[in-house]
Amino acid sequence: MRQHGTAIAGRRCKARLALGAAFLLALLGAAPVRATSPDAITMDVGDEPGRISTEEVRIEEGPYARQLVFFRSSDAPGTVVISTADRFLYVVLGGGRALRYGIGVGREGFQWSGLVKISRKAEWPDWTPPPEMIERQPYLPRFMAGGPGNPMGARAMYLGSTVYRIHGTNQPETIGQAVSSGCFRLANGDVIDLYARVDVGAKVIIRQAAQL
Amino acid sequence: MSRALNSAAALALACALAGCSSVDFGFLSPGPTPESSPTPALAAFKILPPDPLIGKWGVASYRDAKDRARTEKMARAQCKNAYVIAKGPTDGAMMHVADDATPHELALKKGADGKTYLGFNAPPPDPQDREVVELTPKLMVMKYVDPDTNDRYGTLVYARC
Repeated sequence: MRQHGTAIAGRRCKARLALGAAFLLALLGAAPVRATSPDAITMDVGDEPGRISTEEVRIEEGPYARQLVFFRSSDAPGTVVISTADRFLYVVLGGGRALRYGIGVGREGFQWSGLVKISRKAEWPDWTPPPEMIERQPYLPRFMAGGPGNPMGARAMYLGSTVYRIHGTNQPETIGQAVSSGCFRLANGDVIDLYARVDVGAKVIIRQAAQL
Repeated sequence: MSRALNSAAALALACALAGCSSVDFGFLSPGPTPESSPTPALAAFKILPPDPLIGKWGVASYRDAKDRARTEKMARAQCKNAYVIAKGPTDGAMMHVADDATPHELALKKGADGKTYLGFNAPPPDPQDREVVELTPKLMVMKYVDPDTNDRYGTLVYARC
């Protein structure tokens, strides 16, 4: 046996920095997060359990901040439209308007399109790391009950019978990026807002190409 | 174990030279430390046999006590992707510490505070230790000593497969 300290110091430091940043944001009250543009290089970031992001964290600045926009659609109010290419999720409000949220989407090879319905909703959902993640990070529990350190974040809306979800995140800096395995992630404060607006059974349209 | 013995001996020698005598490495001296220590047994600990840890376990975690029961159930359901703990070459348990994908040989330690810890061969509670809250033949419950790590990973429940 040996004393082991320095080898993981960097990782622990990184985790502490993340935790510290989250606390700082929480202290600032509104806890705004600036998300980067989709033109930025695709981040190679995996889910990191345990990084803390509270319910208050939301995107407040830039194009990924939640905002009312003009939106032409023949779909009923309450319909969710996801534009993967733009990293936006719209909730149709009717009258040519929609509420737009910035999202994180699937990384290259993990993007998809289709028409599904919200089949279930959950607050602080549990998380089961995928096998390939367990292989990379064998120290992870195979199941984590929901909570602020959980990569699923504060809320989840399950998409039909697929393995994909619209969910929160404990990494709000990844909003606007292509980082996930096909799920759509929002900052916790934003997903809580969305959760209250979208019902089980709501139609979800996922588009890959940018809409002109 | 020779490496550990060398390190332990060096540390013990350094402590002796420095006038501290409260370090008890367990395998170097069988009983409690000498009575000359001004803060008796503050850093004393004993290494326990790793046998209760050895085997296959389903692992799950929770943060809120209300989730404990269902987390135990989920731990039992993880046996198809079990966490395997083998005996190490120097009578420790081959396991991982947080945030490190490399397995290490860890020791089950009885601290001077009467609590049981799992971690490297250093006086508990070391920041890299886990406190063993519960240990039965079928169930282990552990918490990371470091508050940050504990916040991030929660309380770990191991159910024997």
